[in-house]
Parts: sequence; structure tokens; C-alpha cells
Amino acid sequence: MIPGATLELTQCHSCHARFLPTDGPCPKCGSPDCSPYSTSAVGRVLAATELHYPASGWHAPHRLALVEVADAVRVLAIVEGVLPVPGALVEVRRDGDVHRARPEPTQ
Amino acid sequence: MTIHVASVGMGRFGKRPEGLITLAAEAANFALEGIGRKPVDLLVVGSMFAQGPHGREALLPRLVGRLGLESASGFRVESSSGTGGMAFHVAALALETGRFERALVIAAEKMTDRSTAEITKELSAALHMSEVAAGATMPGLAAIVTARYLQRYGLSTDICDITAVHARSMAARNPNAHFQKAVTPEEVASSRVVALPLRLLHCSAISDGATAVVLEKGTGPATVLGLGQGFDALRLVDREELTSFTATRVAARVAYEAAHLTRKEVNVVEVHDAFSPFTLMHLEDLGFCGPGEAPKWFREGWVGLDGRLPVNPSGGVVGRGHPIAASGLAAIGEVALQLRGEAGSHAIATRPKVGLAHAVSGIGSHNFVTILGGKSP
Repeated sequence: MIPGATLELTQCHSCHARFLPTDGPCPKCGSPDCSPYSTSAVGRVLAATELHYPASGWHAPHRLALVEVADAVRVLAIVEGVLPVPGALVEVRRDGDVHRARPEPTQ
Repeated sequence: MTIHVASVGMGRFGKRPEGLITLAAEAANFALEGIGRKPVDLLVVGSMFAQGPHGREALLPRLVGRLGLESASGFRVESSSGTGGMAFHVAALALETGRFERALVIAAEKMTDRSTAEITKELSAALHMSEVAAGATMPGLAAIVTARYLQRYGLSTDICDITAVHARSMAARNPNAHFQKAVTPEEVASSRVVALPLRLLHCSAISDGATAVVLEKGTGPATVLGLGQGFDALRLVDREELTSFTATRVAARVAYEAAHLTRKEVNVVEVHDAFSPFTLMHLEDLGFCGPGEAPKWFREGWVGLDGRLPVNPSGGVVGRGHPIAASGLAAIGEVALQLRGEAGSHAIATRPKVGLAHAVSGIGSHNFVTILGGKSP
């Protein structure tokens, strides 16, 4: 049982890689033998940016963060709120086709 | 089979009124004139968009018709910004089979007749769909990589400005470069934000342009000594490294092994700086210095025309302009010009014996390394 919010990741039963869900096989070894698992949604920001010219359909400034969650899995997440500094803790959640990150709720 | 670059044809990069076919034919004719119009039996053409005034063009048959090469064999290749490198490698490998005598390689792109938004969307084809879905663009992902590099090595953004100043100062000597004017660090640092920490003058520009080279059997000052390529995960989050490009490290290792050379024997390098701070990571990945050491090379001035390793004497992608497919071949062409003593106003201080050219697809998913140099027959 994982306390707090959870995030769904994928594990490969062939090479044991753990990664962000994809629509295909394991990105490390190509095996289709993968299954989902849940882990803590809290991660640490590795790097973040503020795009002044985001992709079509998004408004500037658009903030993105590369977040490392459990098992060293990385997530590219849309930032809700101010641009986080490297090392900041954020809570990541899936929202349709994308992931979103917001500052970890304080105790 | 030994092959060499016998001729280089480069038109001016920048905003050009001509269409794709005319730009490509111009570069091709420059290269063909360089060999006295000897016959060519292989044509390899690269373009990412192949965009004409009415949409995508049948680039290869149109060029064959324009150049009168109907008796040649032909291939068209595409690997986004790495296209020019790929086209050269395909031609070199085909010649190495012994089946062809002489190849004309052309890489061309027409971009300035379209809006920045259209180009941004087209370039997103080189990214993972999940990244585009999250609103990421090529500069956005480059910004994340740059931010991570700065943070990892405790650097401030001034090193990004220094790399852009270097690119533009080199380009100012190259009459075919898009940008003919040097810039100051202050101008770079005050240019508008594209994606933090990247500003406009750190980013390569939308350009029109074409490059062509003729490859033939035999040896010369620009003999093909080593070719290497490498892949990395398309999706940034699936990569082992964020501040280093695995695809470049693999490509370099293969190319150095094939050439029986080490990086110490390389006298000039053209790296694929679609974003100027990427020059730092590329120099490290190509083995010229250790992780985090490249900023010192710039601060100490070791990358200038008379430095210990002249870097991007053409202006690189940031200074020369970035007609997507053409950039990889322009890097190879520049190295060949330097080796052949034909670089004119942008020649490095001492004519080099060995040079290395680098090409990057997308955000580093498929990279190419080409080593050229003199070889005794």
C-alpha cells in the first residue's frame, strides 16, 4: 500500500526496465511482455523550462518539467503554477494524454 | 575501396527567393563544375520537407531531370536535421561496394516561405508524440537538456551566450552563412526568450539552403577515413543520459575505430549546434574533452581559428543557418573545404590533415560522425 497519490508506471518482465507507459513495447528491449504498476506520485524536478512558443494548441508561457519519480523513471510533465527549481518535489498525475506536475502538498 | 570528396558545392544559406529545386540544382552545379562535369552514376538526395510552392515535391525525379542525370541510380533519404549526414553515408557506403564510380550527394531545404508555427509543427515530426502532446517543441526539449547541463556543472547562462557569440563570429567570415554579423554577449543575453534558458540568438534560424558534394573512388586530402552512426531513445525520458548524447558517443566510437584514429589527431571539427550550448555537449561526446570540461575550452579561446581545436569555422548551425536537411552535409562540406585548402576567408590558421563532421537528427535520436583526411594512395 502506497500512502498518498499514486502514479501508474510500466515494468518489463523481460529486461526488468521500469518506464513511463507507452503505446508500444518496452523502449529498452522491445519486449511486449510488460504490465502496469503503481508507485508514489511524488517526484523530484531534474530540469524545467518555460516555453514562450509552445506547440500548437498551448498558450505561452507554457511550463514543462522533467521529473524523476520512483525507480528512476522520468516524466515530462506540464507544470501547474510557477516554474519549479531543480530539486523541488512535485506531485505528478496523469491527465488524458499528458502528465501534470504541481508542488507537493505541504504537510 | 577508398573514396574521397572530390568537390564541394555550397550556395548561400539564408532567406532566398528561389524554390527547393533551384537551390538544390545550384549547389549541385557548383559541385559538378568542381570536377569538370565528369559523369556521375549515383545521386543521393536528402530533404526533410521536400517542400515546393504547391506542397511536397517529387524531389528526386525533378532534380534528375534538371541535372540531366537520367542514366544514374538515385536514392532519397530523410532523417530530419541529420538528413545531410545520412545522405553522405548512404552515398559513401554505396561507392564502397564498387558498383558506382562517382556520386553526387545533395541536401536541401526550403523553409522561409512558411510561418514559424508551420515549421515548428513540421519539426515536431522528429520528436515523440507524447512530447508534442505535452506542448513541447524542439527548442523546449533543448532548453530542458541545457538547463540540466548548466545545473549539473554549476554553470551560469553566460556560457550559452559565449557559444552563440563564437558561432556568429565564425559565420561573419563565411560568405555563404545566413548571419554575416558578429554579436556581443550582451546582445545574445538580451534577445527574446524562446524557452528558458534559451534565447533567440542561442537557437538556429529558419533558413533556405543547399549543399552538394561529389564523392568518387580514389584518395585526396578529404578521403573518407571513418563513418559512424548511433541511435538513442526517441523519447527524452527513456534516455540513460540527459547531458550527453549517447547517439553521438556511439557514432564517434565507430568512426574513430574505422579510421584507426583518436580524437587527438583531429585538427578541425564541425558539430551540429542547432542550439549553441549543445556545442559543449557535442565536444564532450566526441571525446575532445571530459564531461563538463567544454565550457573551459570556450572561455580559454581554444576553439577559435588558431586555437588547439578550431570548432565550427563555417559558423555552425547557429551561424550558418539551418536549412534542416542541408546542415549535416554542410558540416561535411566545410570540413572537406578546410582539408582541401579551399575554405578561403573562413580557413583555419593551419591547414588541417584530419577533420570531423557531426550531424544530429531531432533531439539526438540518430546521429552521424564522418571523419575525413589525407591518406597516401
